[in-house]
Amino acid sequence: MLQATKKWLFQKISSVIMVPFMIWFLMNIVTIFNGSYDEVVNFFTSQPSKILFSIFIVSMFFYSALSISEIFEDYIKQENAKKYANLGVFLSSLIIPLFTIITIIYL
Amino acid sequence: MKDNNPISPHIQVYNWHISSLVSISHRITGVINYLLLILVCFWVISLIFGSESYQYFKKFSESMVGKFFIIGFIWSYLFQILSEIRHWFWDMGYGFELRTTKITGVIVILGSFILTIALYLLSGVLI
Repeated sequence: MLQATKKWLFQKISSVIMVPFMIWFLMNIVTIFNGSYDEVVNFFTSQPSKILFSIFIVSMFFYSALSISEIFEDYIKQENAKKYANLGVFLSSLIIPLFTIITIIYL
Repeated sequence: MKDNNPISPHIQVYNWHISSLVSISHRITGVINYLLLILVCFWVISLIFGSESYQYFKKFSESMVGKFFIIGFIWSYLFQILSEIRHWFWDMGYGFELRTTKITGVIVILGSFILTIALYLLSGVLI
């Protein structure tokens, strides 16, 4: 299978996983955005929101990293700039969700 | 050879249509939503600083700027969701006719605004 086909397939699979979790998160963010500290902590640390939020951020970071690398592919001509831009997105898509999940586990 | 690879022409080259508007907005909201997700993660991580520090965020969320922020957040996410669903239909081979692409484009644009208002009002944030 071609690399581009693999990338497209991963993008589609992650989007199918991501969209239901995006809808779930949207329905909740409006309420918790105005909530007290205890309400917000309770939301992120209790089940099922703990696991649903974790899946949501992992799938969305994965999907976004693939989509943004496609944008870099289309608009950045310089190979070096493209490489570093992709590396930046890849690292942030790995480190940020990891720290977030660790936070909600130990909160 | 690599230097001769074509890159996408700039968007101002084309005449504007509903489909091009939705297409570029899909990309822009995709990047914005990525940045918003990073902010959400920083918000969650900031909870470790305790309830006293959280009061700063609470002031922001209850301000007018905070309300605009959450409305923008909802719209941007809803736009991407609707546009993504439109892409799924294309991937299955449906909706390529010119008239259909215009109709689905309008549904994505109007739907994102209508659903944003509905979700915001139903959640009782205005109260």
